[in-house]
Amino acid sequence: MSKDNKGKRFSRRTVLMGAGAAGAAGLAGCIGGDDSNDGGNNSDGDGTGNQSGDGSGGSSGDMQPIQLLHAWSSGDGNAAIGALIEGFQEAHPDVEFGEEPVNGAARGNLDQVISNRLQSNDPPSTFQTWPGKTLQKFGDAYESIEEDVWTDDLTNNYLEGPKTQAQLDGTFVTVPLNIHRINNLFYNVSVVEEAGVDPTSLSSPADVVSACQQISDNTDAVPFAQQTSGTWSTTQLWETVLLAQAGIDGYESFINGEGDKAQVQSALENVVELSEFYPGDSSSIDFTEANTMVMEGDAAFIHQGDWAAGAYRGKDGFNYGEQWNQVTYPGTSGSYLLNMDSFPYFANNPSPEATKTFLSYCGTAEAQVLFNAEKGSIPPRGDADVSQLDTFQQDQYDDFNNADNQPPSIQHGLAVVPAIKTNIDAAFSGFLENYDAATTAQELVDSFK
Amino acid sequence: MRNPIALLRRRWSDSDDVRTDGGTVDSGQSFWNRDSVRSAPFWLPPFLLVGLFVYGAILWNIVLSLTDFQGLGSPDYSNLDFENYLAALADPIDGLLSVLPFVNGGAVEARSPSWAQLSVEPIWNSAWNTVVLMVGFTVVCLALGLALAILVDHKIRYENTFRTIYLLPMSLSFVVTAKFWLYMYNVETGLINVVITSLGFGAVEIVQNPDLKLPAVAFALVWQFSGYAMIVYLAGLRAIPTSHFEAARIDGASTLRMYRRVVLPQLRTATVSALVVLTVFALKAFDFLFSMYSGYQPGPSADILATRMVREAYANQNWAYGSTIAVVLFVMALFIVTPYIYSQYQRGEL
Repeated sequence: MSKDNKGKRFSRRTVLMGAGAAGAAGLAGCIGGDDSNDGGNNSDGDGTGNQSGDGSGGSSGDMQPIQLLHAWSSGDGNAAIGALIEGFQEAHPDVEFGEEPVNGAARGNLDQVISNRLQSNDPPSTFQTWPGKTLQKFGDAYESIEEDVWTDDLTNNYLEGPKTQAQLDGTFVTVPLNIHRINNLFYNVSVVEEAGVDPTSLSSPADVVSACQQISDNTDAVPFAQQTSGTWSTTQLWETVLLAQAGIDGYESFINGEGDKAQVQSALENVVELSEFYPGDSSSIDFTEANTMVMEGDAAFIHQGDWAAGAYRGKDGFNYGEQWNQVTYPGTSGSYLLNMDSFPYFANNPSPEATKTFLSYCGTAEAQVLFNAEKGSIPPRGDADVSQLDTFQQDQYDDFNNADNQPPSIQHGLAVVPAIKTNIDAAFSGFLENYDAATTAQELVDSFK
Repeated sequence: MRNPIALLRRRWSDSDDVRTDGGTVDSGQSFWNRDSVRSAPFWLPPFLLVGLFVYGAILWNIVLSLTDFQGLGSPDYSNLDFENYLAALADPIDGLLSVLPFVNGGAVEARSPSWAQLSVEPIWNSAWNTVVLMVGFTVVCLALGLALAILVDHKIRYENTFRTIYLLPMSLSFVVTAKFWLYMYNVETGLINVVITSLGFGAVEIVQNPDLKLPAVAFALVWQFSGYAMIVYLAGLRAIPTSHFEAARIDGASTLRMYRRVVLPQLRTATVSALVVLTVFALKAFDFLFSMYSGYQPGPSADILATRMVREAYANQNWAYGSTIAVVLFVMALFIVTPYIYSQYQRGEL
């Protein structure tokens, strides 16, 4: 029996030791994993990152692979970044790429990943970000690329608006890649014709309200397709109306924190009037559904950035100038309200040379045409050959080159720092509950305090 | 949550017991032969992992909340103070007055802590919404779960089918249920409004209605989790011996009295375990709000501490202030769970 017992004890100890070893290994794995896995949120990225990391040692001397993080993981954005990278690799076959789409495809997600990596002092080469005031969020982490990337070619050919937005406190740190316009009013041609409305004749936000009334009286269609489950569509509508009513000076005073409450409130009141003409279920739909209403002829107008046109491109028998059309939002002619994406340069860069090569490439007209042909936006350079873009983009590009001013968008992060934008978003989340223009106007003006 | 020290002590004392296989007591056991030590490879790694990553993280978060950590870089631990708590809980009386229903008063001023470029709002509004959501959701969910469990326990036909149907919503992710309820609450085509209008009432705006936002969120969560409460209660009901029912019947207890005196007291453990899990789900309602309102700005009437915390931490990079809100959230969760845990502990049922 004792023999038996001994045998048992021995095997139990062996098991214990084995388990202990496994436990220790697991513990080490956890700690180690925590270190190597700094972009921990970025489950997809890891695999890609490792692969490119493995490959780099052998093939390309001291050129480290570029770690590009972006949230364009589907749709036209994905096609656009794909085209850009393909073009870059043809031009620079020696530079390796470790592209890392962040899952979830939301910009907020991407920012968190970047934030975590910067906290642990492990920045990627570059990532997709709004330029302008948004740059201040990771301000200290960027490094000047005035010498290496912003050569005369770029400074001479970028227009003033995008050039201003590419700077952080007067220093170039990022390369804008594309421009979406915010102050558009898209419409379904047959619906407005049926109602007897001529959108080109509208000249102020108040005219839009009267046109909506006319559409409501004469057709069964929803006059103004808008979603109100999230705040962003309403914020960008309000900023467009503010630009129309207060002019570029009033708009710039607001984004500089010296907004006139009366102007802010007047723009909000116009939005309140417009809200009478939203779809009844605006709070339960999203932008795609609102846009589809225009495409199906169930709605007349939609105010959106020109990504709305991307959806129209994909629908057969729904063509620019025939079934749908666009006017500059009434009252904002001469302004090109900017929303841009850009690739900044991080200090402590994991691949300094390769990143600068890539950013220089992004600054070329050729790269911007490749990207924007897929994205539906326009190149920020004034000398791009836009014949490869579609007719709508070419018209927008003409507008852009002839614009008197290119103010930055508030909703799309160019005009105000993130903390102020959070306050503005909060004000609009309250506005969507009660449409109280006076209270919201006060909150908006107070957002800068 | 077992007390690891007690566990340790028990293991220590166990080692003196006579082994069931007939082995003799070896009073001169060395330290390395103690069961507690020899079993260390089993309990020590999880003990350390949980200690470090759960309790360690909580402690670290509390310390962080005392710093002025903001933006990039690393926190400065040399200068700890309660400034963030003063800003978060500024004007306690006015703050409470401003959120309590039927009291219109107490304007709360935003504060400017030393680290902040912009002033920060106190958290009264989101704290109140969190309490309302947590209490409302948990109570309704438990009550509904109990009712369903009692019904299903009556040996009805297709019991398994019903059980599965009630439990299924729990398997869905918050993102799915949020989008699903966004459709359900649609003013024109949503089922809720179709029912309301077919009863002859006017359609009701729900999603962006300040009076209905939070109840609508709670309702959706109840839909999702009452099945879970039902399963927990059902297990509790099944564990009550039939003899108890028979004894109560013989003593002439009415059905109501039997449930109150015999059944409910024995469901205490089930209630606690369901309560803890449901409270956690109420705190996790962040995902739900995030999906429903496409971002962490659900609006003042549905803003909870979790959305506020993420806004401060990730949108504004006010890490220390975000930690402060996290600590408040943690304390609130403790307030709800601790009395139950403690009463269980006193009854020796834990």
